[in-house]
Formats: sequence, structure tokens, C-alpha cells
Amino acid sequence: MGLFDILTGRRKVKQPAESRLFAMSTAAVTLEMSLGLKDAGKAAIVFQPLATADFTSIVDDMEEVLRGTGEDTGTEIEKTDDAFGYRWMVLSDDDFEDLVVGVNVISQALQDGGYGERILCAVFAFRDEQDQAVYWIYNYKRGTYYPFVPAGGDQRRDNERELRLRAQIGNELPIESELERWFPLWGIPI
Amino acid sequence: MARPTSFGKDTGLQLRMTFTLFLLGLVYVVLIVALLASGANGVLVAVIAGGLAVFQLFGSDKLALRAMGAREVTPAQAPELHAMIDRLCVQADLPKPKVAVADTRMPNAFALGRSPKNATVCATTGIMELLSPAELEGVMAHELTHVANRDVMVMTLASFFATIAAYVVQFGFLFGGGHGDDDDNPSAMVLFLVSIAVYVISFFLMMALSRYREFAADRGAALITGRPSALASALTRIASGMDRIPQRDLRAQQELAAFYIFPPGAGKAIGALFSTHPPMEKRLAALQRLEMQLQGTA
Repeated sequence: MGLFDILTGRRKVKQPAESRLFAMSTAAVTLEMSLGLKDAGKAAIVFQPLATADFTSIVDDMEEVLRGTGEDTGTEIEKTDDAFGYRWMVLSDDDFEDLVVGVNVISQALQDGGYGERILCAVFAFRDEQDQAVYWIYNYKRGTYYPFVPAGGDQRRDNERELRLRAQIGNELPIESELERWFPLWGIPI
Repeated sequence: MARPTSFGKDTGLQLRMTFTLFLLGLVYVVLIVALLASGANGVLVAVIAGGLAVFQLFGSDKLALRAMGAREVTPAQAPELHAMIDRLCVQADLPKPKVAVADTRMPNAFALGRSPKNATVCATTGIMELLSPAELEGVMAHELTHVANRDVMVMTLASFFATIAAYVVQFGFLFGGGHGDDDDNPSAMVLFLVSIAVYVISFFLMMALSRYREFAADRGAALITGRPSALASALTRIASGMDRIPQRDLRAQQELAAFYIFPPGAGKAIGALFSTHPPMEKRLAALQRLEMQLQGTA
């Protein structure tokens, strides 16, 4: 935001950064081979559903396309609305590559419809050897990933594990450099 | 591809704000010239006021929070508020501010801090009980827009020279008296008169600026949440809740009031020119226009 924008209080909601979503396709291999993190066969994309006819029709069309291709790829879709009014499109597929593609289809459809700024994030679920959930969250606005490991109990996260994951994954994922932007997402339904 | 954003531009608001800033700058240039012309005393006052402004920018957050009886809360203490702000921060592309809660029945919220990295947003327990989650989200998005727009910084800087003018007016006699009783001390007299004029004019300009920034924050909140009507609903609900609050609870200072979602004491019949916040009907009308743009009916 420039000085003039600050002085005149001009706000624009940031549009998604250049997509680096697909970095996850290759990183998933490393995660499984060297870190023992197996993908849970589920991914989700979270966005704010606008209560307008235009937005609803875009989402409906996109869902139809996904269900159509899902018959070939075996990807299943579920949608839920959370307590904060955000919509979760949850994709299930044993082929991880299909999950990334599916998430990209949804985000691309929203962006093409002019609603790219409504996308909150994408979430990829993994499980470690102890079947503990480990999530990688993709922030569309910044084009970065960060790890999120809920540590059981009341809204606690395993920061040590997250920081270690960042070091272990190295350059394979574009990692969010500012730790204060590693926003948690409690109650992830995958 | 299709439309770049779901909302149109608000060129009128931009123009009004730029014009106000321009006038404010003009008024202040006059004051600076008068200060320089009056010599050492004027410069001294400017330095003192500058020190105070810096103190205000860096030190006032904690004082203000304490004055409001607010305390910072951890995610474990206020999980829903934190989760809501987390999501809004992602949408608004902001770093996470500190989150505070003030234990008072008065339904209100405010933001503090000179920059997004040093910001605090505060909600009262009253507002969290009163509003539905979607309405509260609109209110918090309004406060986060204040943070993103750096409104504390802008208003502090905008009031800098008004503060100097106020000092000159208050200590005007010292200026005149310092030179003994020779009655031909025109520069001090001119400075005194200029300061009065600057103080009065800049007061109205600052109030106007504050109102424009409220509009900008309402608009920003609508952009972040995509739900202008939720914020409109929150505003009406707060306003009706505010009327029931007894007068003695309205203890906030004017400067703090500028960053409230809703000004305490708004029910009083004060002229629109003296107000830090735009009138309710205008805010609702602006939000209504945004909703119509969104629905494609505008």
C-alpha cells in the first residue's frame, strides 16, 4: 500500500498471489519418503460464500464440473459451512495428485468468476506414524505454505513440531517466512 | 477475465479525503510560517509538541487499554474471537494484532497502534454478547481496516500542528510577556491570532477526516467479509443498545472515540460538524450501496 493509499484510507482486498499450490504435489513425495508423513487422502479449500446469485451460480457450476470429472478420477466432494460462515469444500481421493488438481479447479473457478479474494486457504491433511494429524495450509493471498499441528487439548498447537517441519521440508515448499502469519485453523474437518 | 473485484470504486470518498488533507496541509503551512517568523519561542513549542506526539504514538496504547479496563487475551481465553480475527487477517493480508477484551456492558470495539505490526484490537464483553458471529465479524473487520489504514498514525500526525496551535493559544500570554512591556511585539500577536484560527479550522477538518476514515473503514470491512449487510445490522443493533447505557459509562476521551466502532455519547444532539463519526443513516446508506454493488443491482 502506497503512502497516498494510506492517507486516503483506500483498501483493496488482496487478490491471490501467483499460484504456487502445485509445489505440494512434489513435496508430498518427500513428506512421505523422508519424514514419514502419509497423506490422509483428503484436502479442502475454504472460502467465504457470498450471498449473491452470481456467486452461487459460479459455485454450483464448479461443483457440477468437479462431480463430472470426479467420476473419472474417483475424487469425492463434500461441502460444509463452519461456525464462522466459511464454506469448506472437502475433497477425498487416494491419489494425492488428484487432490491438488481438484483444489486448483475450485480456486481457478472462483478467480475466473472474479471472486479470487474470497478464498481463505487450502488445507492438505497428513498423518504421521502415530496417526497424529499434521496439516499443511496454503495461503492464497501470499502464495505460501505453513505447517499446522494441533496438539490435542484446548486449542494448543505443537510449535516445536511445526518449526522442525519447516526446517525439514527445506526449499521444497514456498514456506511463509513471517511466523505471525502462521494462522491456526481450529476444528479442521479432515 | 471477468471483473477484477466484486465492488466498485468509491472515488467520491477518495476525493473528499484528499481535499480535506490538502486543506489541513494548507492551514498548517500558515502556522509553520507564523511559528518560524516568531523566532525561538515558536520553535521551542514545536519541539515540545513533537515530543508529545512521539510519546503518544509509542506510549499511549497501554495507557488507553488500561483506561478502558481492557486486558490482552490468549487464544485459549477467547478462542472464538481469536479464530475470527485469524481468518480476517488472512483475508485482509495483515499480521495478527494483539487481541484484548474489555469487561464492560457497553457494546463497543476499538483498535490501537501506530502500525499493523504494533496493533491491538479490543472488543468489549458487551459487544460479544450482543452481536451474532457474522455481525461481530463485520465489526472486527472494521477495526482491522483502521489498523490496515494506519488511522492512529494518520490522525496523530494530522493533529500534530493543531496541538502546537493549542499550546500557543494557551501560553499566548507568555509569548507576549517574555519581551517585557514594549507594546510593539507584532510577531507574537500575529502568531497568537494565527494559532487561534489554525486551531479552529483544523478542528473541523480533523473531524471531517475522522468521519471519512470511518466510511473507509466500513467499506474496508465490507470488502474483507463480503457481507456489508452484516455490518449494517451490527451498527443498528449497537446503536439501539447504546441508548440504554447510562451517561456515566461514557468515560472515553475524544481521541479514543475516533477509533471506536461507534462513538460513545452519539445519542446526544451534537452538530454533525463536531462529530468524529458520520451519522448512522449515512453509514447504513453507504453499506446499502455496497450490498447493491455486490448483488449486481446497483
